[in-house]
Amino acid sequence: MSAEACAVLAAEHEAMIQFLYLAPVGLVQTGTDGEIAMMNPISAQLLMPLQRDGNLVNLFDALEDVAPELRNLCAAFTRSNGMICEGLHIHLNGGGGARHRRAPQVLSISLLKLDDTRLMAVLSDVSEQVRRERQLRQNDAWLNALLTSITDYALVGLDRDGRICEWNETIGRVTGHPGSVIGQPYSVFYPSDACTPDQLHDRLRDADQNGWSLSEGPSVRADGSLFWSSAMISPLPDFDPQVDITAYCMVVRDISDKREAIESRRKSVYCDHLTGVANRRAFFEAAELELHRNRRRPRPTALILFDADHFKRINDRHGHPAGDAVLRHLGQLLAATFRQVDVVARVGGEEFAVLLPSSTLDGALAVGERLRQLVAARPLLVDGMAIDITVSAGIAASDGVDENLHLDALMKRADQALYAAKAAGRNRIERWTPPPSESDQSPTTRDAA
Amino acid sequence: MNATDLSFATPGLHARLAQLNADQLDGLDFGVIGFDADTNVCQYNQTEAQAAGLTAPRVLGQPLFTNVAPCLNNFMVAQRFEDAQDDDTSLDDTIDYVLTLRMRPVKVALRLLSEPGSAVRYVLVQRRP
Repeated sequence: MSAEACAVLAAEHEAMIQFLYLAPVGLVQTGTDGEIAMMNPISAQLLMPLQRDGNLVNLFDALEDVAPELRNLCAAFTRSNGMICEGLHIHLNGGGGARHRRAPQVLSISLLKLDDTRLMAVLSDVSEQVRRERQLRQNDAWLNALLTSITDYALVGLDRDGRICEWNETIGRVTGHPGSVIGQPYSVFYPSDACTPDQLHDRLRDADQNGWSLSEGPSVRADGSLFWSSAMISPLPDFDPQVDITAYCMVVRDISDKREAIESRRKSVYCDHLTGVANRRAFFEAAELELHRNRRRPRPTALILFDADHFKRINDRHGHPAGDAVLRHLGQLLAATFRQVDVVARVGGEEFAVLLPSSTLDGALAVGERLRQLVAARPLLVDGMAIDITVSAGIAASDGVDENLHLDALMKRADQALYAAKAAGRNRIERWTPPPSESDQSPTTRDAA
Repeated sequence: MNATDLSFATPGLHARLAQLNADQLDGLDFGVIGFDADTNVCQYNQTEAQAAGLTAPRVLGQPLFTNVAPCLNNFMVAQRFEDAQDDDTSLDDTIDYVLTLRMRPVKVALRLLSEPGSAVRYVLVQRRP
């Protein structure tokens, strides 16, 4: 090849490299085991902040903490080539955005299997799109509530504190309550463990701030029978506290017939595919909202992080299907032990988080301890094998007064307590205690896991 | 001490680098990317050019964090420089990182250098074993 031709080729090569350097999406080529062969700069920009050791060798390892399902998704994909997942959303953290202006909250990942040895991944930061979509969804729900042909509804007047202040036929028809319901808080329409008094007030404050507050969920009639309701609370525009008693209007609709569609939509977006409990996305959305409210109206909020002890050993000894069965088992016990108002979620491979609104550290410890004992009490039977399971947990709480205690800080505290529990021998729960010095440093190292 | 005695870990390196001309920067065995107050690249030495597969003319004058090294555009690197600039403090820190030189993940140590009142800030790059 002539020198001139070489120079032309070199220039083209350089232009091509720069083209890839500047592509505004992350591109990664890996082996089927996730080992990274090639990647462009945006991939490093997005993935490096997630790494604990400053290295980036394997894509699955790099995303293990936030998307543990990727490895399984690829393993379960049996065709020799094709799209394994497209635009899968990975939720990174809750409160990091406030501290790090640049930290993305949601990554989108698409995985394409090229052949039996290679995968191609496309990564992008979709935080802004997700935020916009969420807003649109809320608008949709609002329009839905207004426009869907209303077959029956209860019209309820509430006073400033959320107590029912008028009775009419619609209340009797939809909820079965007689006039004696007057004076009771509107929580009478909900199962007793489905909302706390604080949350009742939250919805009134939300209505004050936004003009309306909408919620869907289980409701209960006077005779104890359950139905699925959509309820909207809005403040009355001309309310005068000197003269009027009725401050809010609440419209309750029985939407039991639509429940299946609503639930399946919710499940597909908010449920962990393996265990059926909430996924990271649902957890962080709910936890952000609760902590936001908790600062507006200070009260305790507790967070527990549970981690299955020696989970890797269980997987190695009994196989991945047994490991999956253990996780499902833990998900079921967690969901059955905690209140309906608590948010139980799988937030990592074998890590579960529970957010307890209006609960103190001690209150959370009592329930957490019950769960720990329940898990340890008897082994799980999987295909005739008895597998002993224990969990360790860390608890932290916010009193709502400390403005700086954002979700990520609270998570970090619970995480520190969890690792203290691991270091102290596992099968135990530790509470977060402030370190002796001012600094918020981990009392133990992560190696203790 | 002349230019070639400078190493990646030399203390007080910011002041030393500011005295070097382009040829002397090219003689260093670690990558040097210098950028100005608007984050435009103003120095790009030979070691860095070779590792990245880009020649200086393609890079000089371009905004570092968007057009040259978008992999550094996160809170680990770009924001450190921004914070140092906002707070008017010096920055001299070395972190482990992975660069995507010619699309291959390469373990490197990055040294981030910024001094209040100095026109040029630096990202230094050295390969890790």
